[in-house]
Amino acid sequence: MTHRISRRSVLAGGAALLSYAAFAPRAFSEEARLRLLWWGSQTRADRTNKVSELFKTANPGVAINGEFLGWSDYWPRLATQVAGGNAPDVIQMDYRYIVEYAQRGALAPLDSYLGSVLKVEDFDQVQIKGGSVDGKLYGISLGANSTAMMVNTVAFEEAGVDLPTPSTTWDDLARMGIEITKAGKRKGYYGLSDGSGVEPLLENWLRQRGKALFTADGKIAYGANDGAEWFAMWQKMREDKACVPADIQALDQFNIETSPLSLGKAATSYAHSNQLVGYQAINKDKIVLSSHALISKDAKGGHYRKPSMFFSVSAKSSDPELGAKYVNFFVKDPEAAKILGVERGVPESASVREALAPSLDDLGRAALDYVSGLGALAGDLPPPPPSGAGEAELALRSVAEQVAFGQLDAKQGGETLVNEVTQILSRG
Amino acid sequence: MAAVQDTAVVVGAGAKARPAAQGRWASIWAKHGAGYMFLLPWLIGFFGLTLGPAIASLYLSFTSFDLIRAPEWVGAANYVRIATADPKFAAAMRVTFLYVVLSVPFKLAFALLVAILLDRGVRGLTVYRAIFYLPSLLGGSVAIAVLWRQLFAGDGLINSLLAQFGIEGPSWISHPNYSIWTLVVLSVWQFGSPMIIFLAGLRQIPTDMYEAASLDGALKFRQFYKITLPLLTPVIFFNAVVQTIDAFKAFTPAFIISGGTGGPINSTLFYTLYLYQEAFGNFRMGYASALAWILVLIIALFTAFSFLTSRYWVHYDD
Repeated sequence: MTHRISRRSVLAGGAALLSYAAFAPRAFSEEARLRLLWWGSQTRADRTNKVSELFKTANPGVAINGEFLGWSDYWPRLATQVAGGNAPDVIQMDYRYIVEYAQRGALAPLDSYLGSVLKVEDFDQVQIKGGSVDGKLYGISLGANSTAMMVNTVAFEEAGVDLPTPSTTWDDLARMGIEITKAGKRKGYYGLSDGSGVEPLLENWLRQRGKALFTADGKIAYGANDGAEWFAMWQKMREDKACVPADIQALDQFNIETSPLSLGKAATSYAHSNQLVGYQAINKDKIVLSSHALISKDAKGGHYRKPSMFFSVSAKSSDPELGAKYVNFFVKDPEAAKILGVERGVPESASVREALAPSLDDLGRAALDYVSGLGALAGDLPPPPPSGAGEAELALRSVAEQVAFGQLDAKQGGETLVNEVTQILSRG
Repeated sequence: MAAVQDTAVVVGAGAKARPAAQGRWASIWAKHGAGYMFLLPWLIGFFGLTLGPAIASLYLSFTSFDLIRAPEWVGAANYVRIATADPKFAAAMRVTFLYVVLSVPFKLAFALLVAILLDRGVRGLTVYRAIFYLPSLLGGSVAIAVLWRQLFAGDGLINSLLAQFGIEGPSWISHPNYSIWTLVVLSVWQFGSPMIIFLAGLRQIPTDMYEAASLDGALKFRQFYKITLPLLTPVIFFNAVVQTIDAFKAFTPAFIISGGTGGPINSTLFYTLYLYQEAFGNFRMGYASALAWILVLIIALFTAFSFLTSRYWVHYDD
């Protein structure tokens, strides 16, 4: 009999525990909870957490739980959380993925909050449109940036080569590269990074030719001959030793730390303007931003002001309005703006930019001046990349390496690239 | 311990007093209940974390599933694409087979060599055993893969050493001709666990056999071929099967060394890395599930093949 009693009491105890577990969070949840997820460095995390503290002070009774990861770990984590119905309320979103997430119903449309909770009237309207998919607003831009060349000024000076200017052509740049390599001031040092596998750089070059990476309806917008010319240009630079050889370029995992510039292998690298802060943080030599080279003296620039990243609100969020409120605070509050600086890009709101300008340090000012000073080099924002764009980027990298290591010639490279990208986009 | 036994006795007594209808379950519970309770954590893990997901992935392999929207039944389409229209699958297969074929024999040979050296009564054997086993404990970790990346980078330690001898080493990890070798060397370096098993196997060989052999004038080398190797075949067989399965499943080193790309030019695109890219990079969970089941099939075939051929070369004592 002891057995029965003991089992019953165990069951009762277990039930009590279970019910406690089920109801306990509710008892504590009188305050609203907000979960955030973003990618980026420790610097970005510190800035973000400070803004969250500020938001909590302004909105008592809100608990904020923020998490961050590196870029490549971020997307698997987000995909898994969304699949598990456990998505964070506020999600940092990239231009490359916003279409995938919005079309799959993972993000909440924010149109109904415009004007009430979201006061983004003084945003550049183009950037608002950039966060829209199929006519609905899914992301608020956290700042504008543009693709840029990072330039090691000391290496240029040592070799006695003038820095590139906004009117530098690709021919000029190749000559600069050759001179720096020839000067041989540093061991195993080359003038330029090999940009043949860098998608934003290819896009810039294509835009100067009046083309683009993708059409508005998600198809490839350039041809095999464009690809062939692109690869041929870089092939020549490798042969002339204007840029690093293939096995050095292949060390680049397309982040700040492994770029040939940061590894001390080349005097340039291709990145985005808001990354200047990160580049300077790990490079002793002074780094400056330069616009990309032109295909000819009278060519139109291929740049555009791109939303560096968005904040989106999860479709499953229990309190999307609170999420929208947080996002608004993040992009509009002057105190928050001072904390954030231009680390996520140049703020979209004109009033915030004005409030921010006096408190910026040199790096922040350089990034801001670069983006606002592009002038005629900047054109229209292209439509958001279609789903499959991430895979297409990997394909470009792989084909560029096959050309660099001599497995394909430039012409075959162009054909292979266009074939692969077409296939990827048709799979979606 | 005593408390547990007491309860078991009381439980048994209570159950026996029960009517016959409940009796069977009650007596099973009485007999094995405690055992099952102890097994419970493992059972939950097995059904919840292994068998359940495995069955789910079998179902998903016949669907198109992007992780966000509900899975959509597509029949055998995923398997058809793997078989007919996926050049990256073929590339991943080539890399993985190359890795298995290179890493397993080298690793086993090295493990056996070290085991034989350690078996010859080295002073401080336990210390050496621990030291040699250490890489196996650390080997699968991200930190070691990062370290490896540093060692084999163009201006890493390996090339600095080569430079001492006037050799200009290539950029090992970023050249498609060499990158797989750095991963093979990393794998061979983790020889600890087969070594420990070899050591145990060597200890099983009766010493009087060697004594008899040396009385007959057999040299060390001949003793090794005629005694050690044949008597060790069951252990070699075990190690070979386990290491082959492990090699097929290798992921972390390639992921870290290539930054998740499998590059340069797919030269480190391990099968599992490609599977991961499809699942979490391209949101094709259904397709990735099909890839996973193909891998299960390949490993099963390999293992079955090993067992079938084993009767021709593995000698068991009676």
